[in-house]
Amino acid sequence: MAWKILLHEGGRCLSIGSACLLLLAAITSKAQESTPESADPELSPDKDKRQRHWAFQPPRSAGAPKVSNTAWSRSFIDSYILAKLEENDLQPMADASRATLVRRLYFDLIGLPPSPRQVQSFIDDPAPDAVARLVDHLLASPRFGERWGRHWLDVVRFAESSGREFNFTYPHAWPYRDYVIDSFNADKPYDRFICEQIAGDLLPEDAYEAAEDREDRLVATSMLSFGTKRHNSGGMAYRMEIVDDQIDITCRAILGMTVACARCHDHKFDPIPTRDYYSLAGIFLSTEPLYGTIQQKYSNNPTDLLPLGPKGVELHAAAEEHEKTVGSSKKSRDEKKTELTKAEEAKKEVAKRESALEETAKKEKAAKKEVDVKQVAEKSPDAGPEVVEVKEAPPEQSTTGEELKKATGERKALEEKIARLKTELAQLEAGVVELEKNRPARPPYAMSARDRPDPADTKVAIRGELSQPGDLAPRGFLTAFPAPDVPAIDPGQSGRLQLAKWMTSRHNPLSARVVVNRVWHHLFGRGLVESVDNFGITGTPPSHRELLDAMAVEFMDDGWSIKRTVRRIVLSRTYQLNCATNEKNQKIDPENRLLWRSTPRRLPVEIIRDAVLAVSGQLELEPPAGSPVTALGDQLVRGVDTKKLQPPSNHRSIYLPVIRDYAPEMFDRFDFPSSSLVSGKRAVTNVPSQALFLRNSEFVAGQAKHAARRLLADSSAADDAGRIDLALRWTFSRPATAEEREEALKFLEQIRNPGTEVDDRDAIAWAALFVSLFSTAEFRYLVDIGE
Amino acid sequence: MSLEPENLSRRNWLKLGSCGFGSLALAGLTGQGHAGPQTPRAPHFTPRAKRMIFLFMNGGPSQQDTLDYKPKLFEEDGKQGKNKQKLLAPLWKFSQHGKSGLWISELLPHLAKQADHLCVVNSMQTDSRAHPLAIPQLHTGSFQFVRPSLGAWVLYGLGSPNQNLPGYVTIKPTRTFGGPSNYGNAFLPSAYQATRIGWEGQPVKDAKIGNLSNKEAGPEISGKILDLSQSMNRRLLQRSGRDPEVQGVIDSLNLSNNMQEAIPQVLDLARESPETLKLYGVGGKDTDDFGRQCLLARQLVESGVRFVEIANSGWDQHSALDTALPKRCREVDQPIAALLIDLERRGLLDDTLVFWGGEFGRQPETQILSGKVAVGRDHNAAGYTIWMAGGGVRGGLVHGTTDDLGYEAVHDKVHLHDLHATMLHLLGLDHTKLTYRYGGRDFRLTNIHGHVVEGLLT
Repeated sequence: MAWKILLHEGGRCLSIGSACLLLLAAITSKAQESTPESADPELSPDKDKRQRHWAFQPPRSAGAPKVSNTAWSRSFIDSYILAKLEENDLQPMADASRATLVRRLYFDLIGLPPSPRQVQSFIDDPAPDAVARLVDHLLASPRFGERWGRHWLDVVRFAESSGREFNFTYPHAWPYRDYVIDSFNADKPYDRFICEQIAGDLLPEDAYEAAEDREDRLVATSMLSFGTKRHNSGGMAYRMEIVDDQIDITCRAILGMTVACARCHDHKFDPIPTRDYYSLAGIFLSTEPLYGTIQQKYSNNPTDLLPLGPKGVELHAAAEEHEKTVGSSKKSRDEKKTELTKAEEAKKEVAKRESALEETAKKEKAAKKEVDVKQVAEKSPDAGPEVVEVKEAPPEQSTTGEELKKATGERKALEEKIARLKTELAQLEAGVVELEKNRPARPPYAMSARDRPDPADTKVAIRGELSQPGDLAPRGFLTAFPAPDVPAIDPGQSGRLQLAKWMTSRHNPLSARVVVNRVWHHLFGRGLVESVDNFGITGTPPSHRELLDAMAVEFMDDGWSIKRTVRRIVLSRTYQLNCATNEKNQKIDPENRLLWRSTPRRLPVEIIRDAVLAVSGQLELEPPAGSPVTALGDQLVRGVDTKKLQPPSNHRSIYLPVIRDYAPEMFDRFDFPSSSLVSGKRAVTNVPSQALFLRNSEFVAGQAKHAARRLLADSSAADDAGRIDLALRWTFSRPATAEEREEALKFLEQIRNPGTEVDDRDAIAWAALFVSLFSTAEFRYLVDIGE
Repeated sequence: MSLEPENLSRRNWLKLGSCGFGSLALAGLTGQGHAGPQTPRAPHFTPRAKRMIFLFMNGGPSQQDTLDYKPKLFEEDGKQGKNKQKLLAPLWKFSQHGKSGLWISELLPHLAKQADHLCVVNSMQTDSRAHPLAIPQLHTGSFQFVRPSLGAWVLYGLGSPNQNLPGYVTIKPTRTFGGPSNYGNAFLPSAYQATRIGWEGQPVKDAKIGNLSNKEAGPEISGKILDLSQSMNRRLLQRSGRDPEVQGVIDSLNLSNNMQEAIPQVLDLARESPETLKLYGVGGKDTDDFGRQCLLARQLVESGVRFVEIANSGWDQHSALDTALPKRCREVDQPIAALLIDLERRGLLDDTLVFWGGEFGRQPETQILSGKVAVGRDHNAAGYTIWMAGGGVRGGLVHGTTDDLGYEAVHDKVHLHDLHATMLHLLGLDHTKLTYRYGGRDFRLTNIHGHVVEGLLT
């Protein structure tokens, strides 16, 4: 099988190579169609021109541009935006209302709706720094990491199963999820965050480092281990497949570059020779991913795991030691069993022999008798023919008795032995049962990665074929982006530490730009570079290159802080615009690329679900300990009841199990991305199956009932009109308009059917109102609320 | 422009339309104004088939015992084969059928009567003879990577005629060997994954599509709930300057209402005549379940579903070939023949593409597994048989041959990529142009492979 896949690997690489060629052909032919002047030089395969691609130049802060409306801008971000707006004769729309803004900030920063009280205090706060204080409050909330950590989990295709044809559960993937959430909450500098995920195990020991922090950076390297895998495969092909995934994930997530193309040939567009790929491959081949045991059929490559907790190593050692004792006592029990079986068989044999001898002895005795009779009968005239037989009686009849005696002795000895063995076996058996009953508690575990004992360079595989080794490719990084501040790779190590340093070096033109653009994408619904995972030549050009550069430089100068980047953006006037449109702007820039307004955005599925739970009062904000996948142990996902894969939970959505190919139904409906693939940007669709889910699913119906109960129990609403108002404040963060109130009252009236169980009908009516609210556009889109 | 995942609003569909998709064919059967991901789109060229039914025989049916007649294999029975085992003659008789004189074994008496509809390809090849790899390759074109399934590509390329029904439905899919990724969307928007009805092993009469009614509220209150939501949405539409996303929500709510009425109707076998039910073998001892599946497939495509896959499992005869294979054939033979008859009499066969096949085929040699007495055959990826019928394929045709014993395809070989290219071609899609950009590259179902097999086309 392994050999077979190896062969297929070759085929695969050729395929990729040709696919890239095909794309090149398509693009170059497109370029040829245009006039020579307009042909994009960046599409030319010319190496120098490739090198001149904007994203490959170090970001420079050019200084804020001049604008004519000097009063409008609040920050350098606004100046860059306004300059382009003025250049294109566009007028920015008005500022969003306080109510709109508070809802937008809550959802964007912590992913939960503001409570009516929170909305009101913000609206009533006259201080000029009210927005900044609210933003700081939200950034400090532990809910921030649960919102923003999920974005990163999309990018690194986090999951708790192996995916592919045999989909094994990964019971110990969840600590990475918590690591990411904690890192965002702690505002861990992004360069540190990256270094930990690539080389957390290799970072220098720090005498003052807390044990938990040390553990965190070991958990961080899970990122190299939870990718999709064929555990049924093996050998070099299996290792290369993992390495390919690791190169792909790190380069796309962090650099926005598709380096995996270079496995079989020099990259067709970007300045990445095949040799660079194998320089990276050497680093990862020298690395051992630790994903777990999965010791069962279809899994050929078990690895260690990382025991967690202050006593993790001890507990793990004790548990392993205990397992060894269980194993050896099972072995002695089994040996005893075998001994007993043998003894029983021997006894059976002897007993058989014994009874045969007894039979013979009996016969002999009888024969002797007959001979005696015959001697009497010979005198009789009626003598029969049997007389002849008797005459031929066995000659050794005299030994039978002795043999029988011996056999009986043997049998008795064996019987004694068996009795003894049985007692001994019972003791051993009890010992095993006792040992199995008293298994010491295991610590929690995490995935991780570590250097292999024999780090080494690898050879280029010509056209990606492992069977055709070419030159040795010394371990290293992408040669197009040298970083003089990065130390040489220690030959005794894998080189991951230096790779991490190179990726986060200020000389690296990509990492800061890519992550700042990701932040922008999440706050505006579109990146300044739309192809958020692709900053190469085939990526989309930036709409505001100078702004992106200025922000990237600021980001690095300011300690690679995600929170402060978010803060800078949300405090800009650009972010705080309303969603209104006007005809002129619409005509000039219908897609709002230049950001003359705020584009209404749909909330991601996790946030829609969390908001439903928040409204119903059922949301459990306390993070769960671990993941339900841990209890499933190592198994094939296909053998697990789908209900057990997604047990009921009221925790925030980020804590739901992420089983590859088995996302919760709501996630499938609302564009949750494939957890097997890198996904910096989710699709946003608007399809009837979503409407069916909101209108009819058990989940929404159940939560609507809870919301109704909560509403009816709320003493702050005195009457139906007040309750309607409160329901809208919960769901839309605003009071009902007079028109809405009237309509809702009529709706409730129609459903409450007087006569039959009034209480129940009342609850049904209010639950129906909530289903209605959950199904609206306003509930799941960030739109203008009005004053 | 970028084809990466996008907000699939009307605007973006228009954008896609200007980039190799031809003009946007708005308004399907419902005449809705908002263009969703399932809105019909013009094919690349005039299609020969407008919809497709994919009959998946999970496990790898034995071609030597069904459709690839090998007289020499009868003669050489028991002789040493070129691999490790002895040759095994087909256990059933073959005879010729229809005007075309197709050789079909006695295991498929009903299908044999439809011989002149069948376009049989005896020279199929695929890249792996292991189920875990071959099943994803059959469904997604790839086993190395997670890729969109054939149905997802078709729905992405063409949309679906009826906005009140899902455009891509899979009935009783397997959870093994890739499981849901065999009908998944991978990097395409999730709207292109199949709607699943049941799981493998579950009787289809117990399988349902979820969320089609509000059980808590009942239809009357549910209607009022919808009215109230829509009223609020319309006000928001005014307030937001006719935001296309808000319009999208309004449309999708309307469609959901149509859908929850339409789907139960389409899935209701009670409206079929007793004669039709009997034709498909509904109620029959062996044929009930697959008969229902075939009938559902017909109802779905007839109602405007673009792509339907149905599955029958247990075609992996390493042993018990003599008893298990006839049972499988009994289960599917009459229902499939009925499907062809029924499609034809309803005038649908001409533009419906029907595919039958497994992930690979089987060997001419016998295989006796330890502990088993009965004979079986091992997997074969180098030569196997599939057939297609209906829209645009030549009925009564046998394309390609294997060697005398059926070890491997020797003439007019058709690789799985070629088959995929041909299927897309029949549906009016150029497999080299049906692309989606993900991670900086344009991907397609056939990767860089695939040639349309002209010989199969009418």
